[in-house]
Amino acid sequence: MSSRVGSPAKYRFEDRVLFFVVPLFFLDAILGIWGFHYHHLHPDGALAVVCAALQSSPIIAFIVIVGLYLAGETDDFQKTVLVQSILRGIGVTLAVTTFCGSLEKYGFLRQMDVSWVQILFFVTVTVSMLVSRWRYR
Amino acid sequence: MLCSIKSPAQRRYVIRMWVAAGLCVLFAVVAGMAFRLGHPHGVLGYGIAVLPALPIMWALYYTGVYLMEETDEFQRNLLVQSLLGGTGGILAAATAWGYLEDFAHAPHADLIWVYPLFWAFAGISYGVVWARYR
Repeated sequence: MSSRVGSPAKYRFEDRVLFFVVPLFFLDAILGIWGFHYHHLHPDGALAVVCAALQSSPIIAFIVIVGLYLAGETDDFQKTVLVQSILRGIGVTLAVTTFCGSLEKYGFLRQMDVSWVQILFFVTVTVSMLVSRWRYR
Repeated sequence: MLCSIKSPAQRRYVIRMWVAAGLCVLFAVVAGMAFRLGHPHGVLGYGIAVLPALPIMWALYYTGVYLMEETDEFQRNLLVQSLLGGTGGILAAATAWGYLEDFAHAPHADLIWVYPLFWAFAGISYGVVWARYR
């Protein structure tokens, strides 16, 4: 792995993702699958808000880690590739949500869950990163 | 407002963003009227529904162009941090709300609000980042 990671900033970025975002993501997945779907837990009031905040914590952690990476990375090229990928990700996500929102509004589509927005974003950012790596290989 | 902007790249960006916002509103109104008056269905319906999404792609494409054209690294960083804030804000809000909808029976949030909310979060983030560097 060390031969693949180019800079200390990127090394820290990967470490932070591995030790903060991934455990939070698994914690959310366990809570969602085991707690809400298997045991049918239905928290309400303040507990529901706390659980909702917990569900969005991997995203907040990821965005903070990206911000720290961009601040620490000295290689402009690496920074540009990441920023371009995020821009493409958010562009596709916003366009798709607006399109689906219009379809939903005019009865072409059933009501869609807004929590799909984050999955769409992460998938498009990953695809965009892979395309950039392939393009600049 | 445009007179106070010194960088030509930033001026072009602001103009393009206003044009994109105007087109977005116009296309949303056109799509709304078409669905209300003409009741289109099938491929035509999908074609009309995609109209409001086109200026969004255009706006984000020109955001990328601006980041390439802008020579002032501080301004570039300011925008990137704001966009990151906007992205984080909207994703966190959407996920939390989706969860509340599923398990706490919160009212359904329309996906159409994701785009305006993204820019609201990006605007708040811009203000915070700007205040930090003042």
